Amino acid sequence: MTRIKSMIGTAAGLTVLLAGTLAQPVAAADGVSAVTEGKVLSEDRKKGNCLACHMMGDGAYPGNIAPPLVAMQSRYPNKEKLRAQIWDATANNPDSPMPPFGKHRIVSDEELDKIVEYVWTL
Amino acid sequence: MQKRSIISTLLLALLLALGSTALLADSHGGADPRAGQVEQAINDAEAAREKAGSVDGEWRDTAKMIESARKALAAGEYDKAMKLAREAHQQGVLGYEQAMSQQELRIPSYLKY
Amino acid sequence: MKKILLTCAALILTAGFGTATASTPEEDKAAWDRFYQQRFPNVPEEDYNNGVYTIDKVGRENWEAIEEFPPYEPFIDAGREMWETPFANGKGYRDCFPNGPAIAGNYPHWDKETGMVMTLPLAVNNCLEANGEKPLKYKKGPINNILSYIAFESRGQVVNVEIPGDDPRALEAYEEGKKFYFTRRGQLNFSCAHCHLQTVGMVLRTETLGPAKGHPTHFPVYRSKWGTVGTLHRRFTGCNKQVRAKPFKAQGKEYRNLEYFLTHKSNGLELNGPGARK
Ligand code: HEC
Ligand code: HEC
Repeated sequence: MTRIKSMIGTAAGLTVLLAGTLAQPVAAADGVSAVTEGKVLSEDRKKGNCLACHMMGDGAYPGNIAPPLVAMQSRYPNKEKLRAQIWDATANNPDSPMPPFGKHRIVSDEELDKIVEYVWTL
Repeated sequence: MQKRSIISTLLLALLLALGSTALLADSHGGADPRAGQVEQAINDAEAAREKAGSVDGEWRDTAKMIESARKALAAGEYDKAMKLAREAHQQGVLGYEQAMSQQELRIPSYLKY
Repeated sequence: MKKILLTCAALILTAGFGTATASTPEEDKAAWDRFYQQRFPNVPEEDYNNGVYTIDKVGRENWEAIEEFPPYEPFIDAGREMWETPFANGKGYRDCFPNGPAIAGNYPHWDKETGMVMTLPLAVNNCLEANGEKPLKYKKGPINNILSYIAFESRGQVVNVEIPGDDPRALEAYEEGKKFYFTRRGQLNFSCAHCHLQTVGMVLRTETLGPAKGHPTHFPVYRSKWGTVGTLHRRFTGCNKQVRAKPFKAQGKEYRNLEYFLTHKSNGLELNGPGARK
């Protein structure tokens, strides 16, 4: 059962990956697909793994270490401020356990942009 | 949508074709000047890793990345090797900076003395 | 003048972040106890040696079911056999540890002669080497058998790590362990304290973060994830690696000093090894 589940998971993952590569040349101008890719990156355990700590959209099994990511646009005046938080949370709060995703190159600049696009929609 | 995927497929094919010619070129060129550049980048990465290690600041995957860069270099995959070496270099620098920023013990404020 | 200003600024900064290096081991222990007491007012003091299951109710039920048929039992038996089998020279563990096998409560301790923290696994290997036997690996394998047996026989002893005042190097080792515990490491930039103090009791993805007080009481531990029993330093390695930091050598100075500091925070708790964990 879990085998089947993980096969479906892998298949889905591959499809997303393939779709990602194929859509790449067009995606740049396509906000919707940046958001979709941002969502995948946010949930990917090897990339954003934001769900480890934050409740976030419909992501399954979120952690509860950090505040739920909701109503972002009412909390952040612009995407740059939001990006700065994700780039290095310790700049704002030296004790923050949130990993400095940009500063420590956990995700690339382009990946970070896509994550910001997604989080901005929450 | 259909049109888009056709374009994408074409693009992909083009990329693949370009990629393979690049690969072929790699394996033919005996004294590719890039080999030296990559080697230098790998040495720089190794130095940065060791510097981080000297202050207990080394990250988990840096040595593995350098190892992979060496393998890619040996296989003539210069772009891949260069990318890995640069990333490893950055990791070494960041790991060192991190350790330096942590030199002083700082007891968090939630512990009340 | 500039220098004075800078010093003042530094002083103010340090003060703002709470007392730093000046605290004694006793003060540290009291601060940790107070912290966990406030975080978990309903957890009885003596329950902390159950690790994360002191606070994770659902996990605890599964764990109690597992403990009915303890997965570490075969390792205890294998360890008993090691204890009772003479070395090639006719001697045995008993000759190194005349008070054994219930000796886990004496470790880790400061060894004035060698000027280092002596841990149980290190003492086991010293014994083997002194008798011409091959030392055991420190993370996986048979060392866990002998440690399981010793831990089992030592159940009920009370953790009592002392930082002797007559050798300043002991306090130095303790301070190094403390520094380690609060130092951010790895690409993900965590210190041990981020998970086991600051966000303790919260859920990281699906894992409840357990209090550090009580962590060392039940080692070695059978982990379902490992499918076998592993040492405390193996677990340290895992916790370093998961934040993408390069781990240190098992039984090297860093991890021994860390163990010294960490175990001191469990003073007063009963030993209950070997344990079983996810
Ligand atoms: C290890 C836990 C952890 C992870 C993983 C994590 N965060 Fe955070 N995050 C926190 C904490 C704790 C806070 C609270 C403020 C602080 O400490 O910086 C926070 C705050 C934030 C905030 C500010 C929220 C607000 O209401 O102002 C944003 C935005 C955010 N995180 C986004 C992300 C994104 C995007 C990711 C994934 C790429 C992520 N976080 C991953 C722990 C985490
Ligand atoms: C990113 C979070 C995280 C960090 C950082 C972390 N740990 Fe852990 N650790 C865990 C989780 C999750 C567990 C399993 C649940 C538990 O027992 O707390 C665990 C378990 C342990 C255990 C085993 C507890 C038992 O009962 O068997 C020890 C010992 C331990 N950690 C020590 C450390 C030390 C020392 C450090 C610093 C080098 C550290 N941890 C850093 C998350 C973390």
